[in-house]
Amino acid sequence: MTVIEEFHPDYLTLHLDGRFDAHETPQVRQSLATHTPKNVHINLEKVTFLDSAALATLVQAMKNCRERGGDVVLCNMPQPVRIIFELTRLDKAFKIINTVHDATQH
Amino acid sequence: MAYTNYQHWKTTPLGDTIVPHLSVIIPAYNEAERIVPSIGAIASYICDLGFDWELIIADDGSKDNTVALVEELGLANARVLRAAKNGGKGSAVKRGMLAARGRYRLFADADNSTPIEEVSKLLAKVDGSQAPRYDIAIGSRAAEGAQESNKSLLRRIFSGGLRMMVKYVLGINVRDTQCGFKLYTAEAAQRLHHAQTMMGFSFDLEVLYLAAKYGYTIAEVPVSWIDAPGSKVNPTKEAKRFIKDMAAIKRNDWRGAYAS
Repeated sequence: MTVIEEFHPDYLTLHLDGRFDAHETPQVRQSLATHTPKNVHINLEKVTFLDSAALATLVQAMKNCRERGGDVVLCNMPQPVRIIFELTRLDKAFKIINTVHDATQH
Repeated sequence: MAYTNYQHWKTTPLGDTIVPHLSVIIPAYNEAERIVPSIGAIASYICDLGFDWELIIADDGSKDNTVALVEELGLANARVLRAAKNGGKGSAVKRGMLAARGRYRLFADADNSTPIEEVSKLLAKVDGSQAPRYDIAIGSRAAEGAQESNKSLLRRIFSGGLRMMVKYVLGINVRDTQCGFKLYTAEAAQRLHHAQTMMGFSFDLEVLYLAAKYGYTIAEVPVSWIDAPGSKVNPTKEAKRFIKDMAAIKRNDWRGAYAS
């Protein structure tokens, strides 16, 4: 999976591309630990699959951001990812937005 | 449209009169941590294909909450086959294959290590949409064009050694007998898994040996495969058992246990 970081004054956007699984979580955790952003927008448009380790990484990121007074916003969820979030009921826990542009309004 | 297909599948049972085009069987032993994302990926992809299908979780006596977790999902076309005790992956696959109602029956590992998208390549080999038509299509990490990711050196050596032995000892002309992604016609699944006697790691080997013996045609299809962390395969232990089981298969055959 590739991770592209895009820096903005108020938030960090991570564009993820590929299979987001336990092999790939360290680079996402590293990015978040390095920049300690208050707000993170995660673009999932090109993610083909997430496993439980990836979900745990996103939950931890959400907790960390909320402790700093910010949040994680998930954008551009493809259908398989949306269904995985629904089945794990994490769709209730996260802010989920249609596009990266919409996320900037939050 | 695609999401509508999923919503329909999730909420509307097929009913007894409809024969599913495909049954997907997931053998599961203590998979509470990994199985739900895999079910999501499978449901999303197969619903997109637009045919009737069912999902079977063949539990293998899990001690964690795998069974409860899957049942709580409330999927109308998913069934959980409970097992009182752990009988081995082969026993779970056998129960799933024999309980399935589909024209074609796929078993897929619970970690989605072979991405479900690969099933279309296998289906094309057995459903007549591509000539020649086969009885069985198996995912292969060794066929030309296959992609393996994150596989340890130990597991590569283990797999390579076993491939050689399978070819020269059992005469099975398949390069990868162990990939957890295999598709059978209903008739082949019923006959082969009914005759299956091995319930552990080597059950794949026995089923393929039987397939060749009974004259079923097998397509070996290159697939991508991602080694998922948390694999329950212990290479050293399983290699010893595998060699022992190869001898047992030959012995069974000599004794007439596989007479058709």
